Amino acid sequence: MRFPTWLLAACLLLPISAAAADLDQLLAEVKRQQTRLSQVDRQREARFLAEKQRRQQLLAEAKARLKALEKQAEDLKAEFETNRQALLELEEKLQASSGVLGEIVGTVRQVAGDLKADLQQSLVSAQYPGRAARLAPIADSKRLPTLEQLQTLWTLMLEEMTEAGKVVRFQREILASDGKPFETDVVRIGVFNAIAAPGYLRYLPETEQLMVLSRQPEGKPLRLARDFLSAQGDRAPVAIDPTRGVLLEMLTHTPNVWERIQQGGLIGYIILALGAIGLVIVAVRLTVLWRVGKRVEAQLEEVEQPRDDNPLGRIFLTALGAKSTDPETLEALLDEAILREIPPLERGQSLVKLLAAVAPLLGLLGTVTGMIQTFQAISLFGTGDPKLMAGGISQALVTTMLGLAVAIPLLFLHALLASRSRTIILILEEQSAGLVSQILEKHRG
Amino acid sequence: MTMAWIEAVNDFIAQGGTVVKLILVAAVMLWTLVTERYLFFLWVYPRLQRQWLQRWHQRRDKHSWYALKIRERLISEARLQLRRTLPLIKVLVSLSPLLGLFGTVNGMIHMFDALAVFGTGNARAMATHISHATLPTLAGMTLAIAGLYASQRIERRVEAATRHLSDQLHFE
Repeated sequence: MRFPTWLLAACLLLPISAAAADLDQLLAEVKRQQTRLSQVDRQREARFLAEKQRRQQLLAEAKARLKALEKQAEDLKAEFETNRQALLELEEKLQASSGVLGEIVGTVRQVAGDLKADLQQSLVSAQYPGRAARLAPIADSKRLPTLEQLQTLWTLMLEEMTEAGKVVRFQREILASDGKPFETDVVRIGVFNAIAAPGYLRYLPETEQLMVLSRQPEGKPLRLARDFLSAQGDRAPVAIDPTRGVLLEMLTHTPNVWERIQQGGLIGYIILALGAIGLVIVAVRLTVLWRVGKRVEAQLEEVEQPRDDNPLGRIFLTALGAKSTDPETLEALLDEAILREIPPLERGQSLVKLLAAVAPLLGLLGTVTGMIQTFQAISLFGTGDPKLMAGGISQALVTTMLGLAVAIPLLFLHALLASRSRTIILILEEQSAGLVSQILEKHRG
Repeated sequence: MTMAWIEAVNDFIAQGGTVVKLILVAAVMLWTLVTERYLFFLWVYPRLQRQWLQRWHQRRDKHSWYALKIRERLISEARLQLRRTLPLIKVLVSLSPLLGLFGTVNGMIHMFDALAVFGTGNARAMATHISHATLPTLAGMTLAIAGLYASQRIERRVEAATRHLSDQLHFE
């Protein structure tokens, strides 16, 4: 690179021209600088000292404050201690003076809890819903009950007591047995039962509602209940469930007639079918015999005009149509005619008798098969669960019952049939000969 | 007095259940029939007997085959009249133990139902059904024994009356 020549020359020339004069100046300058510096140093020292003093003062102040605070802490600690002592004493005093009260509060809480459970289950709550909820703050809270709450407690108690002894009629929405709500008149009998137009009601504690029992008690109790609902005057008889609904509840578990028959199983159906067949036969035979009997009686009234629409008349016709009146021939003819007439009269009877005899036997068969099932259940599950065995046993008994239920009417009806046909047959066997003789004697004059 | 009696019967029915009612109906039927028979023997039969005897005595012919048959007819007619309701009485007598048995089985079924619902814990629930099971048997048996005696008496009486009548209808 190439510097400009004039610039280089200027640089070399400058110091040489001022050299002698400047050294003095420099010295003076240095001396002046030295005095200035020492002055600055002194000033700084003074400042530092002042600062130090100030700090020391601050320190002293802080120390004094610490001391003061420590003293304050000491004081407060002492005060705390005395206060604690006082508190302890007061607490002790409180404990001593509230000892009986604590027990009372516990009792109140327990009573409230019991009453709450009672009210939840009580039928009266269906009339006045929400009572149990009012007791919840007393029974569940840890605080002392207020005066108002205590009053609630005993008012509810008294209310339950008086309501338990009343028969009341009130309007309320109840549930039908299929769950549909409807408004109706309800009569509550104490805490035992509630009755509405459809019959006895069931109380549902969960929703404080009334529901119609799905199966009403049969016969008299239900009739009494319905009469009671519409009864006028002071008193009327009614059937109540003293177990507060347990018995009525039981009722919904017991099977009705059809369910009972189903318990009998296949053999039960067979027995019933046989019974139905027997009844049909009996009905047919009874009408036939009744008609024949009427005709025979009519024929007995008019011995002179034999008709062929009845057995007696046919026997007369046979006897009177005989070519000879020789007693022996006549007797033989009559016997033959009678023998011809008897079987149609006795038709079906042996079958009815057979059915009446077979039905109890089938029932026995059903019993045995039911017992076999029961014992199988025992061998599988042991005797621990009586319910398991009871089901099988009742199944066994149902067939026996069905057998008897079929046999008894069939036997009765068979007896009716037999006595009816027997009467007619006796007339044919023992009286026709006499009647024929009577006619013949008359003809001969 | 009568009220107490009715009360007792009501109690018995309540304890015995439905079947006892059936047995009671059978009992009423049976004793009505028995009473009717005795009244018949007392009042109606003597009159009928006189009529038959008169009819027989009016006949001149008392020795031919015809007369024999006519006599047989008279006796048969008498027997029919005398025995008229006897078969019904007998069948009621034989039915009443069966009805009792029916009640027993019925009560047992209900007892086992109670057992199925409550288990063996609730003896009281079973007790009612046991009385429902035993009382019909008692009632049925009582009725059967008493009725058997009555029906035997009537049967004997019928036989005696028939024999007496055939003795009086002389066949020469």
